[in-house]
Amino acid sequence: MNYERPELLDRLAAEYALGTLRGRARRRFERLCVASAAVRSAVYRWEDHWSAMSRTLPQVQPSAQVWPAVSRRLFGDAGAAPPRASRWRTWQFALAATLVALAIIAGLIVRQQAPPALQTLAVLGTDSAHPVWRLERRLPLAALTIEVIGPVPEAAGKSYELWALPRGGTPVSLGLLPAAGSAERTLSERQRRALLAADKVAVSVEPAGGSPTGSPTGPIVIVTGVPAPG
Amino acid sequence: MTPNEPDGAELEALLSRCAAGDRSALETLYARVAPILLAVLLRMLRRRDAAEDALQDVFVSVWQRARQFDPIRGRALAWLVSMARYRAIDLQRAARPALALSEVSALEPQLQSEDPAEASEMLGSGALLWRCLMLAYQDGLTHSEIARAVNEPLGTVKSWVRRSLIALRRCLES
Repeated sequence: MNYERPELLDRLAAEYALGTLRGRARRRFERLCVASAAVRSAVYRWEDHWSAMSRTLPQVQPSAQVWPAVSRRLFGDAGAAPPRASRWRTWQFALAATLVALAIIAGLIVRQQAPPALQTLAVLGTDSAHPVWRLERRLPLAALTIEVIGPVPEAAGKSYELWALPRGGTPVSLGLLPAAGSAERTLSERQRRALLAADKVAVSVEPAGGSPTGSPTGPIVIVTGVPAPG
Repeated sequence: MTPNEPDGAELEALLSRCAAGDRSALETLYARVAPILLAVLLRMLRRRDAAEDALQDVFVSVWQRARQFDPIRGRALAWLVSMARYRAIDLQRAARPALALSEVSALEPQLQSEDPAEASEMLGSGALLWRCLMLAYQDGLTHSEIARAVNEPLGTVKSWVRRSLIALRRCLES
């Protein structure tokens, strides 16, 4: 087969990524991928394109033993504990007792400006004199801007993670809070919905890189109300 | 964006930390994308045990190949989904139960059309082409399995797939 023709290469890349290129032809194409950057980039382009089709599948939670098995194979130990169930309720109790941090509700500073309207959602801090992060949202809430406005308390090897607390629902991660500067966070549909339904946001201290389970696992250091969207 | 889709920038950051040898990044990455990848694997391999074994293989490869991920060339989730799909394709012959014709029919009942005119109308609307692509991508069917599923000759299906690729390419380029 003549691999020099770009249209042919592109078609093979498409069929490789789609999965219809099989058997020996598939193996041959894989060797070609290793050898040629142009072929690889054609494959990447089609992978990006086709991957939209996998998004319609409902997610399936793996059994608890899969992660420890991966960890054992790679690192020769049982690794970290398998993802745990949400400890949210425990934290709700812990909250009342150990809330050392005060949340400042910034109130609602709506800037009546030309769209996209920027709305201060909350100012998060350890007490009223020490604001640390300002959250701003852009309506219709496709993005969140997080700005560091004060010194971030030292938490060696840990990350601060922001959560939306939808009324009557489970916390949804809004990602890690920046340690410096500001971050523009594009919200996924799930995050957007959670934040629209949230009457509070919270900050927890998590292992570096964020909660390994998708739910808060570390102490909640800040919780604050957020205004209803409007 | 669809519900539960992880943040691409976060996945990229996690992959680069994996490349630097940060084990906790792999665990976080697992928490974020394992349910998505398992859905893909289960659909293609059709057996839970085989799909979960494949999921292990995928994360072992992700760790070993994280350095090869190039954020300029592709999106992180697409890269991860592709790793899962290629693993499933490699395993399919061994792991997937042979596809009985009745099962194929059950997969796509709406395609059981006796009437060639109706079939060609579907084809005209692009719906049948799209179904062929979905059967290839989501279910991991080969050309001949798709041909059986949509009750058309193999050559016809191959040329449909080819035509839709050309059309899609044009569409992407415009």
